[in-house]
Order: sequence, then structure tokens, then C-alpha cells
Amino acid sequence: MISTISFALLLVSLTVQAVYLFRKDGAKDPVSNWLALGAGILLLAEIIRRSVAIRFIALTGMFESLVFLACLVSILVFALRYLRSLRAERAIAFGATALAVVFLALASSPLAPADIKPPVPALQSGWLILHVSFTFIGEVFFAAGFVSAVLQLATRNEEKRKNYDRLAYTSIAIGYPIFTAGALVFGAVWAQKAWGIWWSWDPKETWALITWLTYTAYLHFRLVRKNTSKVMPLLVIAGFLIAMFTFFGVNFLLSGLHSYA
Amino acid sequence: MKRFSDTVYDALRSVKLATVLIVLIAVFAVAGGIIPQGRDESFYLHKFPGAPARIILALDLDGIFSGMPFLLLATLFTTNLTVCSFHRFTKELKKPRGNRRHGPDILHIGLLVFIFGGLLTARTRSETLIYLGKGQEARLPEGSSIVLMDLREERYPDGRPKSWESAISIDEKESTIKVNSPLRYKGYTIYQQDWKSAQHAVFEDAAGMRLSLDQGAKAKMAEGSVFFMTIEKGAPTEIGTDEYANAEAVFLLENDSGRKILRARKGDAIGLFTFAGFEEEAISGLKIVRDKGFPLVAAGLALVLLGTFLTYIRKLKGMLA
Repeated sequence: MISTISFALLLVSLTVQAVYLFRKDGAKDPVSNWLALGAGILLLAEIIRRSVAIRFIALTGMFESLVFLACLVSILVFALRYLRSLRAERAIAFGATALAVVFLALASSPLAPADIKPPVPALQSGWLILHVSFTFIGEVFFAAGFVSAVLQLATRNEEKRKNYDRLAYTSIAIGYPIFTAGALVFGAVWAQKAWGIWWSWDPKETWALITWLTYTAYLHFRLVRKNTSKVMPLLVIAGFLIAMFTFFGVNFLLSGLHSYA
Repeated sequence: MKRFSDTVYDALRSVKLATVLIVLIAVFAVAGGIIPQGRDESFYLHKFPGAPARIILALDLDGIFSGMPFLLLATLFTTNLTVCSFHRFTKELKKPRGNRRHGPDILHIGLLVFIFGGLLTARTRSETLIYLGKGQEARLPEGSSIVLMDLREERYPDGRPKSWESAISIDEKESTIKVNSPLRYKGYTIYQQDWKSAQHAVFEDAAGMRLSLDQGAKAKMAEGSVFFMTIEKGAPTEIGTDEYANAEAVFLLENDSGRKILRARKGDAIGLFTFAGFEEEAISGLKIVRDKGFPLVAAGLALVLLGTFLTYIRKLKGMLA
């Protein structure tokens, strides 16, 4: 129920943003970011409600992960207007809101059963909270980078292209250390604590590494190519698509140690 | 004119080379992420019939991360990282103290420490899985004794496991091992890895004396010996019936007249004994790991974490400003 209300709020926010997107005076609408914040708070409340029910942080299943991801993106949509380095074109907030809507639509699909289930022993670890939350927060910034990179490729206005390039780089530069901490460092520490091995080339681990390598290649590529070539936005787009494959595709297509995730 | 050694040095410290190597490692990882790794030959022949299976097996794509091409690539990457880190670090030291940025140095050195720790782990790590019933004992290679004092299992109302715990005594000191909460002792780490139940065959003689026999174990009897081979489960007669209630135990009997396989149900006579049925015992699977690379890998990861945040801290600060 809560996630349905959040979904409705995000849809209204998306519609309002779409209307203002075509206004030529550049005016910003007064409500869409507040609607996104409302959706984010409700989704957070849903995570808290489920956490109380299972007496553990409710981040152990596909439904909960999607709700958490949509919650973070909604909060980012609100914050985009106030964070100086990320303050941007309305199109970025629009793209991010659309992503949050997609995450919630997936959460309501049969792919993500919404049953509330307490965690099995393997998932009862404080490292799970650090591993999952940092990974998703990093991915939210990758999402902002993805939207910026798509717009960078789509626009023909040189000034806008440079602005989108700067925004994509800023998003990745913020998301990269957070993702590194969550997906790789905390993941490896937890694997060591749970299974006695830091790294086992499990499909989820391998694809998380591919995501990290793609963004690492992007950040190094920027050091050698100062201009805004098309390779850079393509790498940012590829990185986010790989991150999403790591999240969804690996769960459904490849079995491994993370099969319960 | 540039000396040859300088040319090699410049090539090895190059960020362009690093970028190419990162992309190549990613390409190998994609192949390793798509093709299941470390399976039997028959798996690939069945899953990728025809030419694809032959290509996978011929190019060792079933073990990409331990294959020579990937190891050569990893060696070149490590060399590039080492030279690049040295070059960058010495260059930073020449700058005034306030202008130095050591985040990337710490990150790169952390990666090197992690790689060397990983190599040490690969060469020295040992892993043993032992199964202990309550009261049973095992010994670590250096002589310490582990005795399983108790096993505790909790389940949720829907039957899913909630908790597995083993209370052990190691060199007469008591500890509890849980999933996600291993015990470190004298360089070993002991993990709660598995949990299962085993069925013992129970015999009774006329005087009421009971004899319990593990599956795969042999016992001497007056007229020969009996070896408990296996259990053949029968179909439960009704829903909720114990799956062993209708089962048969398969024994190998040996005496002077030869060997004989005997199937027995509860109440059947075996020599002077009566087969009294099965007795269930919970067994704890403990994984014992020794890893000399542990401190290096842990230190490497800590440095990677610190270095990554220091490298991009300005962006993080800028976001919050």
C-alpha cells in the first residue's frame, strides 16, 4: 500500500516535471521535488516497517532492494535542487524520477515477491547493511551519471554537452568511492567473515568487479583524454547498465553464492 | 635521445597502458562472468554443444581466472601499477607539503598490498571441513583439540533456518561459533559451515543392551561382523509420517561362511540382535581455515577504502557545500 502511494506520488512528480520540461523560460516547478521527497520518506517508512516486522534491516530480498533503491533515487531527485555541484538541468531530475518509477514498477512485478521474511543465518550480519546500503547509494549516483551521459549524447548544444559531461563526472566521482566501499571492500570483508574466503569469482562478485572496472576505466580515460569524447558518456552508460545487470540479471540468469539476494 | 630504459619506464608508468589493461581485465571478467567457471568437461559439452564447447575447453575459458593469458595480464597490470605508484608518489613528494595529494598513491599501494596478500592467500591457504556429532573430538594440525559440546538449531515458523550454533571446547576453553561469527584461534579460523542430521542403525540384544552403528561403520558381533551400508527410504504411508519409519537398512554381514547383503526393517533379527530402527543425530559441519595472507589482504582493503575516499573527497565535499 505504502509503495503504491509512493508510486502515485512519483508519477505525479514525473508529470509535473514533463510539463515544465517544455517551458522555454527555464522556470522550475514548485512541487515535483517535494512530491519526490514525500515518496522517498514513505518508502523509507516501508523499509522501517518491514525491518521492525523481521527485527533486522529489511534489505535482504529483491522487493526490499528495489524499494530501497527507489527511495534513494527519490531523495536524490529532491536533493538535486539543493546540492551545488549537482544542481542541474531539469532533464536530469526528470530522468532520475523516471528511473525511480521503473524501480517501483519492477518491485510490484512477480519478479519481486513482497512477502516479509526474516533473514536466514547467512544474511544475519552487520556487514550486510554496510555492503548493501553503500552499494546502492553508489549506484544512485551512477544513475544520475547515466541520465547525464544519455543527455550528453543526445544534445547538440556544445555548452549543454559540457555541462552534462561535468555532471556525469561529478556523479561518478561521488558514487565511485561509495560503490568501492560497499560492493568490493565491505562485500569482501563479509565474504571472509561468512565463508572464510575474500573472493570466490561468484557471478555476482565477478559482475560487480566488471561494474567497478568500467567506472575505473572511465576515470582513467578522463586523465588521458581531456576533451568530452563520446567514449566517456558511453562508458558511463555501459557502467550503469552493467550495474543493473549485476543487480537483476545475475539473480535471474546466473546462480551462485548470492542466489538468495 | 631517450635511453631505452627511460622509454620502457615511461611505457610502464603510462596511464594509457593502465586504461588499456583495465579494459582488457574487464573483457576477461565478462567472459568469466558469462561462462560458468570450474565445471566438469561434460557440463560444457552438454550446455554449449558442438563448436562452442570445443572452443571453451581448448582456450581454457572454463578456468579463465587461473589461465595463463589472464595471469600474464594481471602480472603486466601489477607491474604497471607498481611503476605508476612509485612515479606518482616520488613526484608528489617534490611538491610543497600543502599541495600534495596522496589519495591515489594510497589507493594504488592498497591495491598492490591486496594483490600480494591475495597471492600469499592463494599459495598458503588451507581449508578443511570436519563433521562432528555431540561429544565428538577433532584435532587441529598443531595438536589443539576441538570437542563439540552442544549444537543449537532454531527455525522460523515457516520452517526456514533462523540460527545454527555450535558450542565447542577448544583446548578446554569454551566458545560458541555461529554463521557470520567465526572463532579465531592460534592462526586458524573456525566457521559454522554446515548442519545436517545423520541416521544411526540401533541394535538390541535379548538382555536389552543397545549398540549404535554409524552409516559406513562396521561392528563385530559374536558370529561375525556387520557393516552398515546405506538406508533405502520407503514412501511415507501418510502425510507427516517420518520418512525413516518405513525405511530399510542395508547391511553387509560377514562370517566364516562368506558375505551376505541383508535388508532389515525395524524388528528384524540380525544374528543374536534385533534391529531396533534408526536414531537421528545432529551433526555440525565446521570449516577450519588457515590463511597467512589474511593480514595483508585486510590491510590492502583498508588502504583501498581510505585511498578512494581521499582521492574523491573534494567531490564529496563539493556535493555537500
